[in-house]
Amino acid sequence: MTAPTAPSPPPLLRARNLLKQYDGVRALRGVDIEIRAGEVHALLGENGAGKSTLGKILAGAVPATAGTLEVDGREIRVRHPGDAQRQGIAMIFQELDLFPNLTVAENIALRNPALAEGFRVRRDRLHAFCRPFLERVGLPVDSATRLGDLHLGHQQLVAIARALSRSARLIVFDEATSALTEELVANLFRVIRDLRAAGVACIYVSHKMDEIFRICDRITVLRDGGFVATVDAAATNPDELVRLMIGHEVNTGQRARSHATETAVLEVANLTTTLVRDVSFKLHRGEVLGLAGLVGSGRGEIGRALFGLAPVLGGRLHKGGREVRPRTPRAAMAAGFGLVPRDRRREGLMMGMRVRDNANLAIMGRLSVAGVLRPGREAAAADRMATATRLKAGSPHTAVRTLSGGNQQKTLLGRWLQREPDVLFLDDPTRGVDVGAKEDIYQLIAEQAARGAGIMLVSSELPELLRCCDRILVLNQGRVAGLVDARTATAESLLRQATASGAPGEGSL
Amino acid sequence: MKECLRRHRDLVQSLAVLGLIFSLAAVCSPRDWRTGGPLFLQADNLTNLLRVTTPVAMVALGMTLVILTGGIDLSVGSTLGLAAVVAALALAKWRWGGAAAIATAITVGGLVGLLNGALVALLRVPPFIITLASMIGIRGLARSWCNNENIGLRTAGDAAVRFVDTWSQKPFMIGLFAGLALLVAALLRGTVFGRYVRALGDNPTAAVYAGLPIKRVQLAVYGLTGLLAGLAGVLTAARTNTGNPNDGIAAELDVIAVVVMGGTALTGGRGGIAGTVIGALIVGILANILGLRNVDANSQLMLKAGIIVLAVVLQQRRAAR
Ligand SMILES: Nc1ncnc2c1ncn2[C@@H]1O[C@H](COP(=O)(O)OP(=O)(O)OP(=O)(O)O)[C@@H](O)[C@H]1O
Ligand SMILES: [Mg+2]
Repeated sequence: MTAPTAPSPPPLLRARNLLKQYDGVRALRGVDIEIRAGEVHALLGENGAGKSTLGKILAGAVPATAGTLEVDGREIRVRHPGDAQRQGIAMIFQELDLFPNLTVAENIALRNPALAEGFRVRRDRLHAFCRPFLERVGLPVDSATRLGDLHLGHQQLVAIARALSRSARLIVFDEATSALTEELVANLFRVIRDLRAAGVACIYVSHKMDEIFRICDRITVLRDGGFVATVDAAATNPDELVRLMIGHEVNTGQRARSHATETAVLEVANLTTTLVRDVSFKLHRGEVLGLAGLVGSGRGEIGRALFGLAPVLGGRLHKGGREVRPRTPRAAMAAGFGLVPRDRRREGLMMGMRVRDNANLAIMGRLSVAGVLRPGREAAAADRMATATRLKAGSPHTAVRTLSGGNQQKTLLGRWLQREPDVLFLDDPTRGVDVGAKEDIYQLIAEQAARGAGIMLVSSELPELLRCCDRILVLNQGRVAGLVDARTATAESLLRQATASGAPGEGSL
Repeated sequence: MKECLRRHRDLVQSLAVLGLIFSLAAVCSPRDWRTGGPLFLQADNLTNLLRVTTPVAMVALGMTLVILTGGIDLSVGSTLGLAAVVAALALAKWRWGGAAAIATAITVGGLVGLLNGALVALLRVPPFIITLASMIGIRGLARSWCNNENIGLRTAGDAAVRFVDTWSQKPFMIGLFAGLALLVAALLRGTVFGRYVRALGDNPTAAVYAGLPIKRVQLAVYGLTGLLAGLAGVLTAARTNTGNPNDGIAAELDVIAVVVMGGTALTGGRGGIAGTVIGALIVGILANILGLRNVDANSQLMLKAGIIVLAVVLQQRRAAR
């Protein structure tokens, strides 16, 4: 008797009818998903579609309201992160859950049984244990560095290294590359391919279509907490996915009309801080000036220096012809500067406060008379902001903490757009924002430029810079490596200048 | 309506606890031997309860703001004592008029608060340390100003007697507290300052990035708390007829307990005045009923400890949701 064809083995993980009800919001309404061993499975959907919620349920960070989970065909219960860890499920959270005051090594090894002896942590083994994982993710820092001293991008790598160190069978990457540069992403993809070859499954949440098509095998689309479809990556295309996600097409790729003028709003001469040297450039009214460079190239530092957050060691700033030298953000704001920081959770939002109060925080003066707030004005301002950014929140009174990542980003952006500063520094303003909402934000940036503001835009996505900017300043190890016209530049040329070692490219304008 | 209930769920919960404790107190209260009704519910007892609670509750209003910014003020008990001494000195020794004496005592409290605020804002040393130091130092100042002696007010002349009579009346004290509570609540809820207070405690780093006037906010909250501690000192002097340099010893702990019972998180950002008023009432009722039942002072302390822990555990449950 011939053996019957072996029944296909059960998938690594199967979720059935997952339902999640938060206070007033239904984040998931009956989602089914199947993850096979050794596949990279993308999770796609608009901001607030429920991607993070799904991941968090798998990782035991929040309990499902209803539904079942099976691993290898056996039903499991995941009530807290320890349960998930035992099942071999690890997650890199969108809002990282690392400890800023511990070292990189301690963050990675925390609660790892291999390093504990009773209550004693084997410090001697700590660094040796971490090194291979740090090397794999390509993190170029000492494992004894305090985590809080790292850039957000590098913090993401630490979280990834930690997930790897737990020898998981399923790793959920929730927008884990949102602050990584191209080079680090490429390296991460090599790691993911190795994992895939070893039979580890990955769930890959991202709003970046190109990444999804580069690395993923199958794609599940969610919309408004509901399951839409699971498709093979090879059998679909970005337009179809956007249609599935949003229900209609989004016009992408169009360059905004330039509003740049000839009047300089800001002149920076030989700006020097601990991280940048001799940076000089002019920013014009209505211009969008991109800042390109690797993590650590000093892109963000320029904004911090202008905004009084990093001590200026040398150089001069002229704004509208007058010399200024803001020493605190408050002084910088008075001088007409605005800064949307990169790390929205640590540097941007008051998580426990309402959406409305967060969005209005930088324009309290306009909403009050002699320090007494006018509720009418507060509500009107918040409504205008929510409409302009197409914010999706239960009400202006919900706490920002309960918003999805992309909507938190919009709230923070709204805070600064409302203020309408003369010079607006945007540090990765579309991090974690969905395809449609990105277009909205490009539109908002263009509107600010049209009103005559000078805008500086940092982005880890080169196409975004090429698309939104008039000119792009390329930084390499804290120095200006070039200043290029965005209409003629290409991603390759930018990358070449950003990574060229040795003498900065003189005359490469 | 449902939305409203959800938004104020913490408050609704605190109110429920207050109601429960009130009912329990009524049930457990010893009876009046004539009418048979519970002593606890008699108007005289209830107003007395309020009066006794007033000084601590008043300081707790300011402490709520301090804690909302993520700070703490351990010096309020000493400031209270200092203000009581200053008021009594002015009335009894220097023979000042009532208004001048009161104003001076409150101002001294405010100055201590401003000093705390300035040190916290400028030195960037944790408020716990700064105010621990001033708790010790201010107590010493109070004792040295009056040579470690109580200053009696009953026999200290007309102005002093008139002061004691007015400022120890129940309606006056209770009315004053109610007015101040409404004022501070309005300050927190309806002003730019109030928003900044919460924002600072919720995320101090982001408060810097948003350009908030952090130093001014800190000066203001500690200054206000100092003023209120000064006022509480004046009230205490009036109620006890004396300026006692040891007034308000350990009061800072009672004040903090009231704020925490009211659901304000010690980590900053969460909580409010309504909760603190409820917290003060809960603490007041407990102390009152334990007194009525003749529970001895030491057992009262132990019970209080248990209740504080219970309240904080409940609060953490809420925060975790
Ligand atoms: N703790 C919470 N309390 C209440 N509502 C919540 C909470 N967390 C998330 N939500 C809501 O659940 C919905 C789904 O959120 P989720 O974070 O899963 O979205 P997402 O798909 O990850 O979006 P993004 O792309 O913006 O990260 C949103 O409407 C969000 O507001
Ligand atoms: Mg998310």
